[in-house]
Amino acid sequence: MSTRLYPLYQKGGPQLRIFLPNFWLKLIRPVHEQPPNVVQFACSMEMTKHDIQNYLEQIYNVKIAHVRTRIALGKTKRNLLKGYITKDDDVKLAYVTLPKGETFVFPECAPDQSQKAKDDHEKALNETKKGYQNFLDKNKYRPNMPGWFQV
Amino acid sequence: MSLIRIPRNITKKLPICHKFSTAVLNNEEYTTTPNYPPILDLSYEKVQERKKESNYEEIKAVKTIEEKQIKLNMPKYYGFKCYMFNDEKIPYGQLPLIQHITKTHLIVKDQLPDYYNQINVDTLVNDIKKDIEEVLVIEYNHYRRKHEVLNEDIDITAQDKLLTSSICRQINRSLINNLSNTYAHLKQLQIDLDQRIESFWFASGMDPPENIKRYRLGEKWREHTENEPTNRAMQYTGTSMISLRSKLPLLPIVPHSEAVNEDLKIPYFKYDPRVVGTITTHRHITNIPGFWPGDKYEYGLLSYHPRSYLIGRNYNDPLDNTESLHRQALLSCFGWLNAQANYLGFTTFNDITYPLVTQSAITNGQTWSFYVYQLNTILNHSKHVRENPKRNICWATPEMKLFEEIKDGKVVGFNDETLKMLIRYYANTPEERLGVNMKPYLNNEEKVCADYKDDDKRNWLEKEYKFLMANRPRYKEFYEVHHWEKIYKIDHQTRPNEARRRPFELNQKPSNRRLDHRQPAYIPRALRPDLPRNKGRYAKEYFP
Repeated sequence: MSTRLYPLYQKGGPQLRIFLPNFWLKLIRPVHEQPPNVVQFACSMEMTKHDIQNYLEQIYNVKIAHVRTRIALGKTKRNLLKGYITKDDDVKLAYVTLPKGETFVFPECAPDQSQKAKDDHEKALNETKKGYQNFLDKNKYRPNMPGWFQV
Repeated sequence: MSLIRIPRNITKKLPICHKFSTAVLNNEEYTTTPNYPPILDLSYEKVQERKKESNYEEIKAVKTIEEKQIKLNMPKYYGFKCYMFNDEKIPYGQLPLIQHITKTHLIVKDQLPDYYNQINVDTLVNDIKKDIEEVLVIEYNHYRRKHEVLNEDIDITAQDKLLTSSICRQINRSLINNLSNTYAHLKQLQIDLDQRIESFWFASGMDPPENIKRYRLGEKWREHTENEPTNRAMQYTGTSMISLRSKLPLLPIVPHSEAVNEDLKIPYFKYDPRVVGTITTHRHITNIPGFWPGDKYEYGLLSYHPRSYLIGRNYNDPLDNTESLHRQALLSCFGWLNAQANYLGFTTFNDITYPLVTQSAITNGQTWSFYVYQLNTILNHSKHVRENPKRNICWATPEMKLFEEIKDGKVVGFNDETLKMLIRYYANTPEERLGVNMKPYLNNEEKVCADYKDDDKRNWLEKEYKFLMANRPRYKEFYEVHHWEKIYKIDHQTRPNEARRRPFELNQKPSNRRLDHRQPAYIPRALRPDLPRNKGRYAKEYFP
């Protein structure tokens, strides 16, 4: 992967032996459920179907049956203070079909964050409840006395 | 009777008092046991289901074929969103989807089904073989096609298709000539070349699209239906090189009761059809089995299909060619039979009451695959995807060679078995189905719109039907939401002061416009009968 300006070829100049295109593939979890032999990638805008097939076959040695691509429109967002609208970049998505019978399962690289967040929230809630109960217990034997009244 | 007599013109004006009046008792209204109306389930799903059922009953009650097709198209002025299938454009890995949407169990065997064993053709083979060999030699070696004479450069697939087509025509001619003395039904056939076949049905059982999931999640009471399958409109378009039709149907291969056999397994395809390369478009739904309603030869016997598309096909999968042939055969047989069933008065909502059978051959002249299809059901929408126990059956043979090669003007390695199968197709005699009402859902007197005596109605129906079947674009194109509107008006409401004029701002859905939501044709004053100026301006319409 590279982002570079290649020197303009002048007659007699040295020939460029290596061409490093801006090619990359990012494995993503599909939004619409796909059959087990379909893998979804986000890829660089310049890549064609043939590029994607070659990339996977030549570099990763993966057998490919078919590649479909589409360009997904970037989401628009509104600035809450100024009110103007911005748009994310478009993404080229590739749906790569493996030969029949092969399956791909999306790897679980990172532990599930949502469960941890839920647990933390539960814990904090319980603590608050306990604190409030303490406060109530403290004033249990002084009915009708305002909370701020201390002896 | 009142005590004083009051003139009638006064009593009429008096306020009527029912306070002391009693109703006349009708004892017939009462029964010894109370007779209550049925208690209906008033949940949203059940109410919708009953509404749909009553709509299906309405379609069933429509008199003629054309009106039924118009009635099917009634809900959508701008056409249904159809998932398109073509017989020769076959994306990779579509067979399970096709089996699911056509409810077809596939049986691959070296032989045709046992039903064909009773047809003995051994004595006929030798006579026909010579003719067929001659046909092959002439077609391959001695016949120059137009593009060869003109030296035109056409692609190899098209060349193969031309060759296949003319071989099939000659083989068909030769077989009919040779066999028509033995099998009289071959003298009463209609032969179509490159006929147009279009077929439509609703299929369910696949995951709903994301937008439907989103609106289901939007309402609390509907959340639990988030992943319920939705109906999708399936539209098949295709052609066959040659097809034979007769006045009588072929006999079923297995009895209709066999259709509910649990052993006939069908793969369940749960994904959106678009994940296997299906495209969608908006169009009127069409059912055309290669002829117009009213043709007496309405049962298909046999169709020939090309396999030239395999030449340019490469998916790095050795089994792909076989699967794509199966897929092509399943769809073309189901498509043709479904369209025929529609001409017999059945629709995707009203299931067929007896099985239909067709035979097909996919070939390039040398390699042949044979398929026999029995259509047992065309009901595959809504709940029927789970509840309808009937399945369709397709018997398939692997690829077989008719000959090895053509060398020095001679056919080498002619395979009698392949020819025998083809002869068995022709020898399979259509017969009348005794005691079966073939068109239970069509009217007895008026089965096609040509039967109507009223000139105006007949012409109107004919015009409207042909217009829908042509699928020509509307004069005024369907409205679209412009991209800037989507961004600045729908997604982010940045223009609150502008007048709301567009359908999405007025809570209207142009896609829900019905076929009859339109102005009828205007009749100029000079052509109107002698009526008041404001009467009779618009022509009468006959929507079913």
